[in-house]
Amino acid sequence: MNPPATLQLAPLMAALQAEALTVCRPETVTGCYISDLLSDVLAYAEPGMLWLTIQTHRNVVSVAATKDIAVVLFTCGRKPEPEIVAEAEEEGIALLSTRLTTYEAAGKLWAAGLRGENSHE
Amino acid sequence: MHPAPASLRDGEAGDARRTSLAQILVYELRVRDAMSKPAITAAPTDSLRVIQTLMKSRRISGVPITNAEVLLGLVSIEDIINALDRGYINEPAESHMARNVITLRDHFSLVRAVAEFDRHEFGRFPVLDGDEHLVGIITRGDITNCLMMHLERRAEEAIAQEATLRAARAADMAANRVVIRAHVRTGDYDSAGKISQQMRQVLRERGVDPQIRRRAAVVAYEAETNIIIHSLGGEITATIDPDKVVIEAVDTGPGIENIDQAMQEGWSTAGRLPRELGFGAGMGLPNIKRCSDDLKITSDSQKGTRLHSEIRIGKPGATP
Repeated sequence: MNPPATLQLAPLMAALQAEALTVCRPETVTGCYISDLLSDVLAYAEPGMLWLTIQTHRNVVSVAATKDIAVVLFTCGRKPEPEIVAEAEEEGIALLSTRLTTYEAAGKLWAAGLRGENSHE
Repeated sequence: MHPAPASLRDGEAGDARRTSLAQILVYELRVRDAMSKPAITAAPTDSLRVIQTLMKSRRISGVPITNAEVLLGLVSIEDIINALDRGYINEPAESHMARNVITLRDHFSLVRAVAEFDRHEFGRFPVLDGDEHLVGIITRGDITNCLMMHLERRAEEAIAQEATLRAARAADMAANRVVIRAHVRTGDYDSAGKISQQMRQVLRERGVDPQIRRRAAVVAYEAETNIIIHSLGGEITATIDPDKVVIEAVDTGPGIENIDQAMQEGWSTAGRLPRELGFGAGMGLPNIKRCSDDLKITSDSQKGTRLHSEIRIGKPGATP
């Protein structure tokens, strides 16, 4: 397994025109994973990653916390309820929202050099 | 004086809806539990003098008059006083006893017995069984004694139970063991992850390797959501020891029809709502398997499903 290519979060946010929903924000992210299936994320996401999803219910926070995911980006302009944002804040997980679709956001992240390797086949 | 039983002591004191143990007992206990038995009786041909002697020697204030266990009447201490007063103390009981005596049945609750004592002004009631046989006699004092005895017994049981619990907790502490246990309700998607969260906290505080912590968290989270999605409800227990984490998930049914099939990735029986929330991808059990060092699942359509997963701490296993 190659060491993950860590990128600064701030330029990525600019590229995504992303709005920060939480105050907490990591300096960097280690990679990216995209899925709306929670078990899939539990299986394949890696710690420190940026996770793109359209799911906005509170289990997203639980799953992110379980896997030490650093940032969750809600696409298509979706935003979770304020109490879910508060829970994420408590867990130290950053939540972002962008108006871009998941596909468009993924394209921009790839172009910025963010990769999504994991240790599975 | 014994301390109050736990159910009286540690409950919310301000809760007026709470029923006291004594209140429960007067409904639970029967007349047969409180009565004196067998009743001290006399024959109809016995003289009132004989009965007076009996009352004095046995320290009782009423004697049922029976013939072959059939109640014929009752002689009370008032009857004896009248007999002495009017000079018929040597006459047989049957000529002066009270007939048509009010009786209680042995299966009556104590609350009903108390009501009968309040309604009538008698100091005692003969007690009959279902076959109309005299089986005992009951006074208000008997009821009080019976309640006191049962309260005391319950209090002792509660104290013993508490001591057992305290000993178990002390043993857990000595072994550096933390046990997290929670009920999991079916369909309660909002609560998913609570047990996993508590467990992560403990593992983080103990400085457990993050990969192992994540594996344990995945097992707990998937096991919990399985109960929420598929079962009628259950319980999750996470036992954290210095060398391993054991996660046990037990539900009350309906059971997994084919475990081998359920272990295949992508196979799911989840309904529409959980799927819309991103559950039911058919990856739960495969995820649990991947993250466990040791996994046992048994399922029975009658008893439900029991999952036992162990994650060893400090030894390399699967990478999450």
